[in-house]
Amino acid sequence: MDYQLKINQDTVPLEVEDPSEDHFEITIGDSTHDVHYAMVHDHQIHLSMNGQRVNAYVSDQDDGKIIVIRGKTYFVQDADVLEQNASRKKGLAANPTEITPPMPAVVIAVSVKEGDIVEKGQGVVVVSAMKMETTLFAPFAGIVTRVNVAEGDKVMPGEILVDVEQAGQAGGDNAG
Amino acid sequence: MFKKILIANRGEIAVRVINTCRDMGVKTVAVYSDADKTALHVLMADEAVYLGASEPAASYLNMDKIIDAAASTGAEAIHPGYGFLSENAGFVEKCDQAGIVFIGPPAAVIRDLGDKITARRIIVNSGVPVTPGLTSTEADAAVMTAEAEKIGYPVLIKATAGGGGKGIRIVNGSEEMAGACAAASREAVNAFGNGAIYLEKFFTNARHVEFQVLADTFGNVIHLLERECSIQRRHQKIIEETPSNIMTPELRAAMGNAAVTAAKASGYVNAGTVEFLVDENSNFYFLEVNTRLQVEHPVTEMITGIDLVRWQLEIACGKELALKQEDISGRGHAIECRIYAEDPEKDFLPSPGKIVYLKEPAGPGIRNDCGVYSGCEVPVDYDPILSKLIVHAQTRDLAIAKMLKALKSYIVLGVKTPTDFLMDVLQSEPFSRGQVFTDFIDAHFSDWQPNLPDADLACAAFIADEMAGRRKLKQPASAGNAVPTPWQTLGNWR
Repeated sequence: MDYQLKINQDTVPLEVEDPSEDHFEITIGDSTHDVHYAMVHDHQIHLSMNGQRVNAYVSDQDDGKIIVIRGKTYFVQDADVLEQNASRKKGLAANPTEITPPMPAVVIAVSVKEGDIVEKGQGVVVVSAMKMETTLFAPFAGIVTRVNVAEGDKVMPGEILVDVEQAGQAGGDNAG
Repeated sequence: MFKKILIANRGEIAVRVINTCRDMGVKTVAVYSDADKTALHVLMADEAVYLGASEPAASYLNMDKIIDAAASTGAEAIHPGYGFLSENAGFVEKCDQAGIVFIGPPAAVIRDLGDKITARRIIVNSGVPVTPGLTSTEADAAVMTAEAEKIGYPVLIKATAGGGGKGIRIVNGSEEMAGACAAASREAVNAFGNGAIYLEKFFTNARHVEFQVLADTFGNVIHLLERECSIQRRHQKIIEETPSNIMTPELRAAMGNAAVTAAKASGYVNAGTVEFLVDENSNFYFLEVNTRLQVEHPVTEMITGIDLVRWQLEIACGKELALKQEDISGRGHAIECRIYAEDPEKDFLPSPGKIVYLKEPAGPGIRNDCGVYSGCEVPVDYDPILSKLIVHAQTRDLAIAKMLKALKSYIVLGVKTPTDFLMDVLQSEPFSRGQVFTDFIDAHFSDWQPNLPDADLACAAFIADEMAGRRKLKQPASAGNAVPTPWQTLGNWR
């Protein structure tokens, strides 16, 4: 899975492979590392990477995580989520026309089925990326013609999760 | 000895006083405000009395309520800590009237030494050198200018009632004089209700070196060596150490003598601190006397092995000092770092809030005088000091290394602390060479930004926390921390 993390002021693209309960592989820039980890308690993770063994202390914030390693404090955010949050605010005004996740995510809930009538701005799918849940909204009033995903599915940006046909061309909300 | 005392303070200093009382078998009464209902000092004391609303005037500065609390609980004495009422002569008089012992100097001494001009006169008459300048207040900028020409620029305009860096202006030439006098006076009126100002020489490459003194009611006065406190931000100390690396046995003897002379000249009783400026040529000048226990007193305790709070209590209940000057010697080197809830990246702005997780450093030679715990709120109403981290080792270099280790393992989540800033200061070349002057932070760390060498690890930690976080949510809330794992109990992780 690809991520973009924002760490203090820098954006770091990275790729995570083979995740399991105590291990994953992470590629940052040109180098790939094996990471072994153990959750010590809610605020402490013991990490082993490149032969370095460290304790990371973590506290969740509204928009990221504070991570303390070796006495230094890092503020790490998911850049995709940040961007999506920013564009959602914009998007509400600009009326997006497709129901698609803004970042790689997992579907948490689908609240509509084929044939449902939806209002403009109604929540139709909830996705979660890195613990942050995001609701995707119907871009206009209409009828659900097809649901393409189910709970637990991994989804990518650009994938249309729910097809909605706009209600009555003349009277309906125009996406433009 | 007293059977029970009241501690008219909060936070780490209240906790620190309670600790010694417990060692001595003295019962303790804590006082608290709305913001401090579950503060550590309240949880630790044998009794606790509610004072009132969070603003200091309604609680920790409310003299009558505090004296009532002492009377109603049967506390024989009041320890004021530092700050709040610790240097308030009026409060001491009220204690006297109520028949409660104030653990500190007499009211008259606090009054004399609290007025900078009176203090300068007392010290000048005792023969101890004071910073060149006026020994009376002066309203006329022309007289100020004449004095400045005599002693040489730059000079400081200071409020006689001053403190905390307020009512102070640096003047580099005669053209700045009138404006600086007006500004300092105006600021002093606002801060202290007294606009009186005077002038003294300003030393550019100066060190701030202070001597701890103990004086009993029988006229015995000793000093307990020096503390070097030059590392300051906004006129407030953040790193202190002892011994000072400019000290020679001769200079220590001369300054120690001067401190004892100054204490005797002012009629001092109990623990106090005589502050000096030391210039590049090791000339020293009396600055002021702090008539209370200092924040940084633990470094003195570490190298002398003497519990200063114990002696404060002993002296206050009339005991003669059993310690003689020749009994006092320092062993090794001690450093203190103040851990404030503040953001070093944003000009040390306070960072109040809830401490979601706290792990105090521990190990041989490490002492953390701490007033907070995991889960407590750091209120906006008071000084943002969370704790003082003190280390003791054989040499200065070893003490620095120990402090770095301790800071590295000091975890405070939820509020910002300057631990990484302090680590950078301790590792800087001028600090390790001992080139510490009062302008140290401005000169070397004015635009400090953290260097973050472990960004890759932080990214990995983020991902790991996300992955574990998904599982964590599925577990019952209590399962996580029930049994300490080896990661928590091994090595220097507490």
